[in-house]
This record gives sequence, C-alpha cells and structure tokens, in this order.
Amino acid sequence: MHRRGVGLAAFDRKQTTKRFEELSNSISQSQVTHLNNQLAQFRTALTHFASTHRDKIKSDPSFRHAFQQMCTSIGVDPLAGPRKGGWWAELLGLGDWQYELGVQIVDVCVSTRERNGGLIEMAELIRMVSKLRGVSGGSITEDDIVQSIKTLEPLGAGYQVVDISGRKMVRSVVKELDDDQTTILGLAQEHGGRVVEDMLIQRRQWSRERARTALENMLLRDGLCWLDDQDEECGRAYWVTSAMKWEA
Amino acid sequence: MALSTHTTSTGWDSVLKACNKVNEHILGFLLPSIHSAPPFFTQQPNPATEAIVIEQWTKLILSYARHRNLFYLRVEDAETGGDWDEVLRNDRINRRLPPAHLSSILAGMVAKNVASYEPAKQTRSVLLYWRLPEEWAEVLHQWASTTGQMNTIMTFYEITDPPVNSPLTNIPLPLLRKAITILAKSNRAQIIAIADGEGVRFFTPAK
Repeated sequence: MHRRGVGLAAFDRKQTTKRFEELSNSISQSQVTHLNNQLAQFRTALTHFASTHRDKIKSDPSFRHAFQQMCTSIGVDPLAGPRKGGWWAELLGLGDWQYELGVQIVDVCVSTRERNGGLIEMAELIRMVSKLRGVSGGSITEDDIVQSIKTLEPLGAGYQVVDISGRKMVRSVVKELDDDQTTILGLAQEHGGRVVEDMLIQRRQWSRERARTALENMLLRDGLCWLDDQDEECGRAYWVTSAMKWEA
Repeated sequence: MALSTHTTSTGWDSVLKACNKVNEHILGFLLPSIHSAPPFFTQQPNPATEAIVIEQWTKLILSYARHRNLFYLRVEDAETGGDWDEVLRNDRINRRLPPAHLSSILAGMVAKNVASYEPAKQTRSVLLYWRLPEEWAEVLHQWASTTGQMNTIMTFYEITDPPVNSPLTNIPLPLLRKAITILAKSNRAQIIAIADGEGVRFFTPAK
C-alpha cells in the first residue's frame, strides 16, 4: 500500500512497500487492515498533537527542544517528506520557521562580515537576529541557532559554530582559522579586544617575527581586526572586532 | 529609573531611543558607542574596514552638524579647538582624528554627495548637506509660502536673517543659491537683480 505524503523517516518507502507485500502474503487481509488502521490512528493523533501545540512549539524554546527530542527518539524527522518542507513542516509550519531563522542568521552574518571578518559572537548573533524578528518572533536560544546552522550545512556555505576560549562564535567564511589566529582571538577576548605584539611575545613565547606576521595578516589580509596607531603603550595595537561591542 | 521586567528587548529598544532623543535636547549630543573605540580614529589599511570607518564617521558628522546647525567642516578643525572638538576628539580615551584621516573622510562624503567642496577647486573645506539641497529647496519654498512672502521680491539677507528664526536662519549663501536654482528649475523661484545685490521671488507655478 503506498500512501503519498507521509514522511515517517523510520520507514524507507521502497522497503515499506516490499515489507507490506511480504506481510500481506503471510497474514490475513483482516490483520493487514487492522495494522493500517492503527497507523492511520497514530498519524491522526500525531497530527492533532502537532497542530494543538503548534503555537507553543513556535514560541517556547524549551518546549520546542523537547518536541524535537521526541521526534528524534521515535525516528521521526520533522523536516523530511516528499515535499520541500515536508508534511511535518506544512503541518507545524516548523520547516518554514527553521528556514526563516536560517535566512535571518545568514542575513546578520553577511551584513556584519566586513566589520568582524566573518566571525561573530553567539550572543551578538542572537541579539541581532532577535532584533530582526521583533516582538512577534518569540525568543531565540543558542540551541535554536545551533540547530538552524546544522540545516544550513548542505548549502556548503561554511557556516559553523566554533568554540574559542570557551566562547561560542559563529563562523561564516570558508577560510579555516589557523592556530595562531585562534590564539590571538583568545587573547583578545581576555583583554576586551586589544592585542599587541608584546602580549604574544611575553605570554605565549612567540618570536616578534611570528607575532607581527600573524597580526598583520589578520589586519590586512583577513580583515579580522582594526588598527589603533595612537596606542599609548605600544604605538600600534590591534583590536579584534568580534570581541568589541558597538551599535550598528 | 526602574526596569520593567515585562518589557521585551524590542520594547526596551524603543524606550531607549526615545530617552536618547530627550537626553540630546537636555544634555547635548549623544555620541555613538563606536566613538569610544580607540581604533575608530585610525585610518584603516584594510580597504573594506576603512569603508566602514568612513561610513560611520560620515553618519556621525552629519548627525552632529544637524544637531548644532553647523554647515562647514575643514581639515584644520581636526587640529584647532572649536565647534567640532566634541566629535573629532575623545579625551576620555585620549584619541584624536588626524587631519589626514579627516581629509580622506571629507573626500568620501563629497563623492557620496552629502557634502561639497566650498569654495570650489580646493579640498580643505566642505559644505555639509545634513539636509540635501533638494530638501532645502522644499523647506525654502514652504517657508516663503507660510510666511505670506510669495510673489514679493526678497533679498538674500531677509532669508538668512529673518526677524523670526526659521529653519533657514544662517544658511550659507552657496547653499541658499543651490536651493533657489533647484526651485527655478521647477518654476517656483526666480533670481532678480536688485540695487544692492541678489534678490529672489518665490511663486507657485502656473498650471
């Protein structure tokens, strides 16, 4: 029996068809009918549950999280299905919600990329996405962002959540941060954004050559920091924008 | 001021904006937080970054000029004390905008048509368009109309120094001329030669 539009990912459709055929060969017709009725009932119950709680799923992050956990544990993929958003997506509007959030994340990352070199602090991203969504958007959590970025992965745009010195950041450029840059970013976070060559020499035992090259690359080549040439101590200081905060 | 626990982040945003506007009138101009960032004053070697710096300085300069009714900005204002000190320096963080950087910012503003080199053929002084010439034209025509001065010949002086303060009080002559030229193109003003200088007549175009 083939039914169009059911997206239960736990059942591979071809296999399902085959299994049903075998099943119907070995058991009676009435038993098959009974089984189908049960499935239909289950589907109805799930449909009812989803639409009853749709608003809560959309607006309450912890409920949403619990719902997604439940889907995962019973082998249901809320986004799967023959249609683009999936049957679930249509029912819940969840696929759209996820998709919409993904677009907003990309929007914020692209519009701040020049300012921060494609690396944005999670808290800042949440703040700006929330601003985009306004009051009606409901509250967005870090978990929502992480899930949404997972769905962006197939796009191959290089969106990734990275951890730098215990702080979560979202990277939106394909370029990998090399180890030296990661060290510099970590130092910057400890010092309100400001890094100078001497810090790297004294605290990380780098040579001046290595410190200068790494900092200049971040500045000129990658646009990951800003220059301050009026620094009282060292004359030349590098400010990492993703560790700085200012009004857009 | 007590924080309401029921105000959403967006609700609080608009409350803050309103408070800022009030503060500006009572306490003075509110500088954007980027003005407290030391690197903001340095000309950035990375062109993409410098484009952002110039954009932010442009916004700040125009906004301050509008607030203080200032029309001119000169490269030398970065060195000498005066009307622009509040913006071109930040003594709390010990930073100043160097003349070379200001010069580059002015060039950017002229390229974007939010300022013009005035007088012409030099690059050390600009006339700021915190209101565009087209907008000035409308304000001018509106003022002539509401003060019942249509169809009468007026001197430029009567416009820039009226007995009752108007939005046009102290408008620099080059800018006034630009606005009048724009009105002339739509048949709403005409420059008249008068005994001791320049005069203008405003009218509503014939149908």
